[in-house]
Amino acid sequence: MSTGALPAEDAAGELVAAIAQAQTISADEIALYDRQIRLWGVKAQERIRTANILLISIKALASEVAKNLVLAGIGSLTIVDHEAVTEDDLCSQLFVSEADVGKNRAQAAVPQLQKLNPRVTITVDTSDIRSKPPEFYLPFDITIASDLDFATLCTINASTRLANRPFYAAGAHGFYGYIFADLISHTFVIEREKSNVPTVLRAESATRSVIGVSTKKENGKTIEMATKRELYTPLQLANTSPLAPEILRNRRKLKQTSLLLPCLRALWDFEKESARLPSTDTHADLERFTLLAMEKHKELQLPVETLKSDFLRSFLHNLGSELAPVTAFLGGQLAQDVINVLGQREQPIQNLLLFDGDESRGPVYALHPIFGDGLEAVMPVEPVVPMVPMVGAVNGGPVVALD
Amino acid sequence: MGRDKYPRQSLGTLHSRIKQSRILMVGAGGIGCELLKNLVLTGFGEIHVVDLDTIDLSNLNRQFLFRHEHIKKSKALVAKESAGKFNPNVKIEAYHANIKDPQFNVDWFKSFAIVFNALDNLDARRHVNRMCLAADVPLIESGTTGFNGQVQVIKKGKTECYDCAGPRETPKSFPVCTIRSTPSQPIHCIVWAKSYLFTEIFGTSEDEAPELDHSESSDNAKEIENLQKETQALKKIRESMGSEEFPRKVFEKVFKDDIERLRSMEDMWKNRRPPEPLDYDAISQEALGVGPSIVRQDQVVWTVAENFAVFLNSLRRLSDRLEELRANADTGNAPPILTFDKDDEDTLDFVAASANLRSHIFGIETRSKFDIKQMAGNIIPAIATTNAMTAGLCVLQAFKVMRDDLNKARMVFLVRSTDRVIGSEVLRPPRPDCPVCSVVSSRLEVDASRATLGQLVDDFLRMQLGYGEEFSVSSEAGILYDPELDDNLSKSFSDLGLKNGSFITIVDEEDESPRVDLVLSISEQSLPDDMKPIHLAEKLEIPRKPKTAAPQTVNGSHDVAVTNGVSGSLGDGVTGKRKRDATDAGLEDEQIRKRGKVAEEPPKDDDVVVLEDSTNGAIFIDDD
Repeated sequence: MSTGALPAEDAAGELVAAIAQAQTISADEIALYDRQIRLWGVKAQERIRTANILLISIKALASEVAKNLVLAGIGSLTIVDHEAVTEDDLCSQLFVSEADVGKNRAQAAVPQLQKLNPRVTITVDTSDIRSKPPEFYLPFDITIASDLDFATLCTINASTRLANRPFYAAGAHGFYGYIFADLISHTFVIEREKSNVPTVLRAESATRSVIGVSTKKENGKTIEMATKRELYTPLQLANTSPLAPEILRNRRKLKQTSLLLPCLRALWDFEKESARLPSTDTHADLERFTLLAMEKHKELQLPVETLKSDFLRSFLHNLGSELAPVTAFLGGQLAQDVINVLGQREQPIQNLLLFDGDESRGPVYALHPIFGDGLEAVMPVEPVVPMVPMVGAVNGGPVVALD
Repeated sequence: MGRDKYPRQSLGTLHSRIKQSRILMVGAGGIGCELLKNLVLTGFGEIHVVDLDTIDLSNLNRQFLFRHEHIKKSKALVAKESAGKFNPNVKIEAYHANIKDPQFNVDWFKSFAIVFNALDNLDARRHVNRMCLAADVPLIESGTTGFNGQVQVIKKGKTECYDCAGPRETPKSFPVCTIRSTPSQPIHCIVWAKSYLFTEIFGTSEDEAPELDHSESSDNAKEIENLQKETQALKKIRESMGSEEFPRKVFEKVFKDDIERLRSMEDMWKNRRPPEPLDYDAISQEALGVGPSIVRQDQVVWTVAENFAVFLNSLRRLSDRLEELRANADTGNAPPILTFDKDDEDTLDFVAASANLRSHIFGIETRSKFDIKQMAGNIIPAIATTNAMTAGLCVLQAFKVMRDDLNKARMVFLVRSTDRVIGSEVLRPPRPDCPVCSVVSSRLEVDASRATLGQLVDDFLRMQLGYGEEFSVSSEAGILYDPELDDNLSKSFSDLGLKNGSFITIVDEEDESPRVDLVLSISEQSLPDDMKPIHLAEKLEIPRKPKTAAPQTVNGSHDVAVTNGVSGSLGDGVTGKRKRDATDAGLEDEQIRKRGKVAEEPPKDDDVVVLEDSTNGAIFIDDD
């Protein structure tokens, strides 16, 4: 079903494509990417320029992600989407216009996307992602799936685990949205001015360890480069995992925990049961969703008084909607995380970021099945043993009990 | 449905207000491109865009409304063209112009429901801040540097204004002796190459350079005198520009003779490594094999011989250009000069090579042309994603303003932390001692041909408003009147350059309870002869200044720290951003307060689903 890369339309386009194929970064590219190379350096840019990224489903949020990655100069982007552009897509999706309604969503977006940067190879695949075997994911450095139901996301995540490739899931509903990361095991470097407290090789959290430290001199300052490693949990398991002990132990933090967390879990359960979004017009849907949200709220051990009907109402009201400033924020955040992961710099999202555009809040929760001994004890990391998708632990299954 | 469906679903009644609103966006660069896209997709009815800049290659990695074929074209006009396609129902007006132009006066600002700043410099930001205060239009101010981004909501009388935070970072300057005699860092040599050597040979004198601090002290008066002699000697050499021996003369002057003089001052090198002069003949032998392609290798650190080759080569290129300009210049005008521009390869090559040769002499590490460009050109790293996130937050804050829900608006900023990506802070009230927003502003209708400063001072301020003896009147150009300066009283407004859109500020200088500053914007009118030529558009009440000015907060989030992101860079903190410590952001208390407020609202009891839970109590949901 692949339509292949768009042919370059003119000689100039062919030339730039040829330059992009060159082994090392050219002076032209350095001039084009000047302002970002000054932030993350030529080495990171070289990793970015050879990266092969998979984007599954392209709606408003994914359009923003694609825009940011193409501008940053990734090597190639493959977009898999089997759905067609609808009238509603015109509200929020920057790469489609009236004339595209009815066309395949990925094919409609690519011509505009390609114009942003002729150096990036963009490929479209119009088949249904659910038909892809795990091997499909092997060539991709990172897979990003957005605006899909929970079951599909878990299927993709199971495959990316088998292929040992990093995975991101994301979604937006009006003012609200989320980004989830399963990078399996990711090593990165944090550069900072050396402090007088020595950095020791140790676990910093249940999932993060400092595994190496070196220093260099720059402008008369000593810069420390700490190599760290984060371990991850697949979406299916994260979805039934409790909040981190430092939140559970702290009543103030518990009270501040975003209601988006129980609401998102309730939404995923609802989708699993009904294969659709809850309708705000249907009494039965409202009842079912509310019940699920209350269940999730309780499972998460959140204080009773924090579950507010106003918030539930607002959440339901926003379902299915796409709002440009929200998808812009999430698309920017997600693309930046992908760029950082490719460049092996900066702390990546660990592991669920929630976005509340009404409150302009963006908390990140580390959701993992067991804390204490560290994730390494329960999750095989290196070498990666193929994992079967989790079963049984999902549908209202018991939450791991904590003291 | 179609285009409006989602914004209407999420925004409700606000969406119809948005559709009818007329808004202004100042700046169509990094934040501007992202912001314009968001505004257009959200469906703001009429969007005016002002930008004086043109598109450059290095913009294309993030300013996604622009493509290769748009280079050198107007940002505002191309942005309008590209963004218009996202939503044909939105009307966009583009101006390829400076926001400080008189056509953009207070009345024009008043015609907008909200103004967005998407600027990259302090001066324009402060101007728009002032205009929005004068026009009483809410302003969404934003800025980014590298991974950092920030959004601030500004509303006259309700919140801090852009200038309430106090003076922003001023351009960094270096003592002249550090630059000329005892450099110890690459930046010192770069400033020397750019602000001393380059300007002495191709521009006007170094005295103009803001990066050199000329404040003298008795300790170094002798050295300053020596340095002035050196400068005079270099000026002499400049006269031989174009001759065969010119490059050698310059080289031997600044890299040998001046260095030998410095080296001879033994006291200076007791605790420092003395500089080593360079030998022209020896290096030119080494440099024989250096090809012209070296200037393209801007990522590698050049050898001394390579720097030498680039120095000679760029000196020739620049001399030729200046000679040509002179040949074509009209007699009688000021002689032509060249100015440093980071994007002008000839000037950058010269500064990079000269700086490195000097670094080598003083045993300082040399740098790549790429690095030197950043330090000499005050380049701030900029990426698409930060701009995208910041522009998204701008619109979300604008929703609060447009809902008249200023209490829920926040100062928001991007955070890199493991537990959150956004920080926020409540909006602070205006600072009572702010010289910009804690003023009374009004509009003065003036017949500029008839009205004189004397009439303003005597008839208007003293007689009509009751000012005493001690006060001053100033315009953007400086002080026009104070009790010691009465030369201008007979001059007309036109003579003084006070025209439509100009501001004049009256500062009451009485010792006893002075009035707050009065800012008058001038609206030129031809008033009938039987009317006074100066007329106030509205009734004025000028309160007195608070007895004791509020003490400046020293600690906490009021501290102004510029996140420039560029180590060792010169120049103004272009974004003038405030970096806040997470712990003093006041975020948590605020959330508790808001949650409390939500809980007080009684649940609506019409047509609700009531769900009972034995342990959790009941919650209510509207069934609509």
